Amino acid sequence: MAVEFTFDFPLPLGLHARPAAFIQEQSQNFKGEIIFENLRNGRKAEARSILSLITSDTQFGDTCRVIISGEGEKDFAAAFQRFLEEDLKQKEERAVQAAPAGTALVPRLVLKEKEVYLTGQPASPGLASGQVFLLRAGLDEESLLADDENNSPVSIQAEKEAFLLALEEVRKGLEKQLLEKAGVERNIVQAHLSIVTDQAFRSRVEEIMEKEKCKARQAVYLAAKEFSQLLLEARSQYLRERAADIQDVARQLLDSLGGRKETASTVVLNQPAIIVAEDLFPSEFLNLRTELIKGLILEKAGQTSHTLIMARSQSIPAVTGVDQASRLLPGGEKVILDGTRGVVVISPGEKVSRYYQKEMEVERLLLQRRQEQASLPGRTADGRRVEIAANIARPEELDKAWRDGAEGVGILRTELLLYGRPTLPDEEEQFLLYKKVAEEAEGRPVIIRTFDIGGDKPIPAINLPSEPNPFLGYRGIRIYQENYELFRHQIRAILRAAFYGQLKIMFPMVSLVEEVDWLKEKLAELAGELEAEGLPFREKIETGIMLEVPSVALLADKFAAEVDFFSVGSNDLIQYFFAADRSNPKVRYLHQPLNPALLRLLAGAISRAHEAGRWVGLCGEMAGDSRLTPVFVGLGFDELSMSSGFIPEVKAVLARLKMADCQQLVEEALNSSTAAENDEHLQRFYQLHFSQDIIDEQLVNLEADSRSKAEVLQEIALRLELSGRVESRARFEQALWKREDDVATDIGFGLAIPHCQSEAVRTPSIVVLKLKQPVDWESKEDQPVDLIVSLAIPAGKKVTQQLQLLPRLSRKLIYEEFRQALRQATEAGQIIALIKEAIA
Amino acid sequence: MKLVAVTACPTGIAHTYMAAEQLERVARKMGLSIKVETQGAMGIENELDPDEIREAAAVILATGIPIQKSERFEGKKIFEFSVQEAIKNAEGILQKVKEQIGG
Repeated sequence: MAVEFTFDFPLPLGLHARPAAFIQEQSQNFKGEIIFENLRNGRKAEARSILSLITSDTQFGDTCRVIISGEGEKDFAAAFQRFLEEDLKQKEERAVQAAPAGTALVPRLVLKEKEVYLTGQPASPGLASGQVFLLRAGLDEESLLADDENNSPVSIQAEKEAFLLALEEVRKGLEKQLLEKAGVERNIVQAHLSIVTDQAFRSRVEEIMEKEKCKARQAVYLAAKEFSQLLLEARSQYLRERAADIQDVARQLLDSLGGRKETASTVVLNQPAIIVAEDLFPSEFLNLRTELIKGLILEKAGQTSHTLIMARSQSIPAVTGVDQASRLLPGGEKVILDGTRGVVVISPGEKVSRYYQKEMEVERLLLQRRQEQASLPGRTADGRRVEIAANIARPEELDKAWRDGAEGVGILRTELLLYGRPTLPDEEEQFLLYKKVAEEAEGRPVIIRTFDIGGDKPIPAINLPSEPNPFLGYRGIRIYQENYELFRHQIRAILRAAFYGQLKIMFPMVSLVEEVDWLKEKLAELAGELEAEGLPFREKIETGIMLEVPSVALLADKFAAEVDFFSVGSNDLIQYFFAADRSNPKVRYLHQPLNPALLRLLAGAISRAHEAGRWVGLCGEMAGDSRLTPVFVGLGFDELSMSSGFIPEVKAVLARLKMADCQQLVEEALNSSTAAENDEHLQRFYQLHFSQDIIDEQLVNLEADSRSKAEVLQEIALRLELSGRVESRARFEQALWKREDDVATDIGFGLAIPHCQSEAVRTPSIVVLKLKQPVDWESKEDQPVDLIVSLAIPAGKKVTQQLQLLPRLSRKLIYEEFRQALRQATEAGQIIALIKEAIA
Repeated sequence: MKLVAVTACPTGIAHTYMAAEQLERVARKMGLSIKVETQGAMGIENELDPDEIREAAAVILATGIPIQKSERFEGKKIFEFSVQEAIKNAEGILQKVKEQIGG
């Protein structure tokens, strides 16, 4: 018996790659057969194959039939129909609204100097200068498709067999790699494996061989081209990037079928170079010696492509979406690659080279400062210890985390092990992975959070029902009893790996003490199993729970009798506490980290835990917001765990805090009525303890050697970034230029007052430069400029006290005596005194 | 002779106040009485009241953007300049105004 229903396809753009992925994902929840049939053209598809769904050529309004057979077909059919008719459209709409990628920001000087430059999307920040090295595209179409003897098949049957052999060979190779690789690389291998085993891909290649009477390698090439074109038409960046994966697989198949000439994988890089390529397959990237790659200029790679993810993790600057790059940069050209702004300058002239030399100097200084901050200890100025740890989803993020100054791992999310694969990871695979993490941590603590999965994220290998309200449903530890083997393998793997390092276990989504009792009972049972088997493992392992359900906060003293620590998952806790779905923009205003009710909940939970001698961490997103660090310290958190990129800044703030000040801040915050009030408390706190003077020595240069207006504006931007007063010097510089475009800011008397109000500015600031040689201000005035007084104002309506002082300075600049005094000053201190006196 | 003026510029933190100061300074030197209202980032400051506008022989607008409450000056003799001009050549401006209103 099968169940069937028909529906009209609801998406205006038809069934392209992204909705196909949604349908495939949903189909994983069912073990039987799901046939999707487009009644307009009679094409049938298997709902679990993205490629076959796409090739059904389903357009908006096409009537489609779905036939479902297998155990539980009725229930699934009802849910699947609802999904196709309602949820699919919503999902698609949400995906379309996802934020677009950033765009290029060309430095004004590059435009002024009429340099030849290319733009793209900033893909990995940083600067590089050097010669380019062009990697040709991987597949050699010409020789593959040439109508010569070499390409005429002997027999279709033989070609088919050769193809199946090649598939088998590549599959085996990939499976072998699956065992060896970890993390990003492992995901790539998995993606490739899913293509090699895709039924639609295989049938399409065979179909082409029969129809075109061609060789296997041509059919592979053509099928890959066909499918990747379909994926490239998808509006989803993610799926466009999967086209690269298909081509990568085709390349491997062609290697096996002997159909390829020179490709990137055979190229050897001997000296440092900036790589130019249409796209760079992850396997090719790994084949190059990455220490020789100074930067990447790519035409097609998307932001989430595996190659760019690796580039970012290795701090290799990159720009992508650079149209025609491989045609315009055939090799050997000297370029400057600006990965922060998304710009490539070809054979830069002297002025632009000078400009970028300065930029690189500043990058070096900024990196140095970041490293200094990263190496600070996790402790307040008065010695209170707060461990600063990293949130991690893959083992290869560890290196970056240590570089960023992580003192441990506050949460290792393990769910990635489950996604996008047909079978569950077994104990051995998990053991090896956790062991690797334990060893690489070299004694630092690592908290492994057990699987937190539920109805919102379908896992192919586990049949979880889709539910109307997954966040309030069957997720986290709640599924462990029914999926005991999943739980058992993971716990055994962690206990065994803990033998090799300082691992801790953390359970997600706990709400009752009984749940902890059950978990601990099983933990003891599994340890007993290991002991009986004689496997090495750690018997005493620290065990903690996530604090994300409010009930745990209120009963923390009772939980504390059972667990060693708590870690607050702020996103979920806030969502449950204020009864507001974070992904729903209409109720997003309820996501209030500073709300006094939430702070009271946390303060209570922490004091209950502390009284029982247990420590409390915070591993939610807000832990990385350095502005909130004083609040967390005042609340008494013992550990803060965040995306490692935030660590240096949080450590820098922490090092300036005093416990008593933070406690006083929290005391006020607990007694206010709204988050807005607390925001003001916090602002006052910063004004009181962190206030930066409007001008200091770093902002004065009495011997600036800027040789043009462009260099003057750059000098201002650099000084502000080095003192942490602007968030992005590139955006600040752009804002200064925009103001100059309205009307140049030289006012005569050899004085210019470049200024702007910009979101890039953090603190109101005044920069004073005296130029060694006057520069032309490029305005109606003929008079060159030798004195610069620049004003940087944060955006926003709130007029701060400091902002109110600026008009006084402006008025003062009208007076010749004042300008004279500035010009005659021989030390930065004199300038600062003059400015402060003027605004007093 | 009594004059009133308004200064305003796009960002409202520098030129507005420089022009105001310059007009006040030069007027003092020339023995003229002037009150200058600034419309900047801090909003309207040193606001002109209706009596002052009524008594003024002329209104000087030194602006780079449209000003607020311009209806107050209906029927008055108005002289318009850029903010830059007011900073660089306040003397010329005041001289011109003085001549044209026959003071």
